[in-house]
Amino acid sequence: MLEAAIAVHDLHKSYGGKAAVDGLNLVVPRGCFFGFLGPNGAGKSTTVRMLTGLIPPTSGTIELLGMRLPEQEIEIKKRIGLVPDESLLFDRLTGAEFLEFAGRMYGLARPVAIERAHSLLDLFELRETRKLIAEYSKGMRKRLAMAASLIHHPDLFLMDEPFEGVDAVGARLMKEILLDQVRRGATIFLTSHVLEVVERLCDRVAIIDKGRIVREGSMAELRGGSESLEDVFVRVVGAGREFHELEWLK
Amino acid sequence: MIRAILRAQWLSMRSFRLASHRRGAVFSLATSILWYGFWTLLAFLAEEVTAQPGLRTQIADWLPIGLLAVFAYWQLAPLASASMGASLDLRKLLLYPVPRRSLFLVEVLLRVTTCVEMLLLLTGAGIGLLRNPEFNGWPLFVRAPLALAAFAACNLFLAAGLRNLIERLLSRRGMREVIGLLIMLAAVTPRLLFVTEAPMRRFQHLLPAGRHALWPWGAAAEILMGAHARLNPSVGAATLCAWIVFAYLFGRRQFESGLRYDIQEAQATVPRGSGRSWIEPLYRLPSLVLPDPVGAMVEKELRSLARTPRFRMVFVMGFSFGLAVWLPMVLRGRHSDSIISGNFLAVVSVYALTLLGQVTYWNAFGFDRSAAQIYFAAPVSFKRVLAAKNIASAVFIFLEISLVTLACSLLRLGITPGTIAETFIVVAVCVLYLFAIGNLSSVNYPRGMRPQRASGGAAGRAQGLLFLLYPVALLPVAFAYLARYAFSSQWAFDIALACAAALGAAIYLMAMESAVSSARNRREMIIAELASGEGPLAAD
Repeated sequence: MLEAAIAVHDLHKSYGGKAAVDGLNLVVPRGCFFGFLGPNGAGKSTTVRMLTGLIPPTSGTIELLGMRLPEQEIEIKKRIGLVPDESLLFDRLTGAEFLEFAGRMYGLARPVAIERAHSLLDLFELRETRKLIAEYSKGMRKRLAMAASLIHHPDLFLMDEPFEGVDAVGARLMKEILLDQVRRGATIFLTSHVLEVVERLCDRVAIIDKGRIVREGSMAELRGGSESLEDVFVRVVGAGREFHELEWLK
Repeated sequence: MIRAILRAQWLSMRSFRLASHRRGAVFSLATSILWYGFWTLLAFLAEEVTAQPGLRTQIADWLPIGLLAVFAYWQLAPLASASMGASLDLRKLLLYPVPRRSLFLVEVLLRVTTCVEMLLLLTGAGIGLLRNPEFNGWPLFVRAPLALAAFAACNLFLAAGLRNLIERLLSRRGMREVIGLLIMLAAVTPRLLFVTEAPMRRFQHLLPAGRHALWPWGAAAEILMGAHARLNPSVGAATLCAWIVFAYLFGRRQFESGLRYDIQEAQATVPRGSGRSWIEPLYRLPSLVLPDPVGAMVEKELRSLARTPRFRMVFVMGFSFGLAVWLPMVLRGRHSDSIISGNFLAVVSVYALTLLGQVTYWNAFGFDRSAAQIYFAAPVSFKRVLAAKNIASAVFIFLEISLVTLACSLLRLGITPGTIAETFIVVAVCVLYLFAIGNLSSVNYPRGMRPQRASGGAAGRAQGLLFLLYPVALLPVAFAYLARYAFSSQWAFDIALACAAALGAAIYLMAMESAVSSARNRREMIIAELASGEGPLAAD
């Protein structure tokens, strides 16, 4: 049996005694398109940041592609493509320069990095090569971040809200590229608030609330009969939340 | 509304400090006490001088000149230091229905942040005059506060207008360096004329004109002088009122223009042909000798910094302003054996090194902001990241020193190949110490800087560190000069400098290990601090 792409055991992260992630256990099989859902502040971004090594966990173990973090940090990072929630783009570079930089940071030879940068710019329709990233729109920045995550041909993608601010055409393009990556055997771990996107793309889904996994399974298992993912999500994390009308807003 | 803005700013600053900046706050406090303590001492001296009844004539003669100096400092010091103080972050405030008059009032009040020292001086001088029986006793209790308050108001309005005007000019592509040079020339020309003496005779007749009551400083002095005024205090009062109206209209007009100004439009890249820029091969040079990923990071750093308005301004100031600041001393000491004129090139180079620090090694990740997380996410060791940052800084530092050398040679300041070689070696040794401290401050006190702004953005805590540690860091090199002076021997200098270099290298390596360890432990905080937002005021 193949090792899991992501294996997380009893992961904790606290800030000033308050748990952001509270005993997370998670296994993501290789070649899976995995959706990681949760309400705002549930611990999604914190989990992604721990998986990428950007923040250390308070306790627990993380294994990515069969290697332990942080012991084999460098080896792991070489095989990960990252699209974080906050921009990792350098505003004073052009898109081509940034992609070339990213490629070389992941060990590509310069000519290869340049060649791949240009083909990715074409693929993501970011051909204005002279334009500085500072002048990019939000959607363009997201597309460029995704292009950068692809340049070294990683085996595992960690993506935090990759479709946020992207228009419908750009989002369609990005989805097709991601599905193509899964078809070639890569694993994708994606957080998103757009449940329709998760429903359409993901094989498996986990829902996190208050730092704990409250539901996990394949899409069919989660939806059961005729429920949509949104119904399941609201039922699982929205229970007890009622809408109160404000008198002065009537 | 104004109170809401100020409260939001206070809360933003409070939460920012409470999070992780206590050590930084202590540094800031210590340096603030030193700085304002110095100005309080000067204010006390001003009070003592203006309180002397026997100095009535001299006070009457020199008070307008003193107020002119206050005016010049108030208006030019923020520009010359490229640190224009706090200002309203209009992007965050324009969506609210706040009257523009109120916003302008806050902006004017914020100008106080750049001139507290001048307010101290004015207060000191004012108290001294009140204590001086020669200046009419009790009527002055009414006149002096009014005159000084009116003079301060005039300065505040003008400073608000100038700030807006300069910020807009500096944000324009291709304009900022020219404007920066013009400001620098305006600031140092009087000093150069004064020191070079010969042309001074031609300008001596301008001194009475400078004291004239038609100027705001002259008018304020007229009011303060009372019976000893050259004209009539009422003329001074009328003139000062006219100046306040003018300053208000100027400030308000510039502020309104600032509201309509689109900085992104001004900085938008001009579309060019597909041909490669002439500078492109220069950016690629480090990769010829440095393997990736260090080569890639150095290349990225060179591109980014060269395109950052704030960096470019400081770089231009490094060789122009530095030269102009120290040149008068050389000209004055040309025929003597003064230490500064003897080591002019080294002095200007170390000064340029200091200036560049705030945009390079003191806060190495400042311009990267949230993008700095790529250094933690990519498969590179942090030691290499810091090394690449240091190499890129060194490239700009030695480019700066080369420009200083060129300028000194063109000015025929007696630069020899020996002094050039010595300067480069001295700077290289200084760099070891400063990079060591810079690497530690970059990971322990990081702060996001806004690259599109031509002024401000340097970390206050880093400036505090610089203030305290800079003299200590340069001490080993200073010992080398001391050895040459004490023993009158070049050998003594060479040996002492070699020892300083060896010690510097050891300290650099130790500091590098410590910085890497700190970065590993503080990575979360570093990213958060670099990406953190600000309140409604952009506090620089």
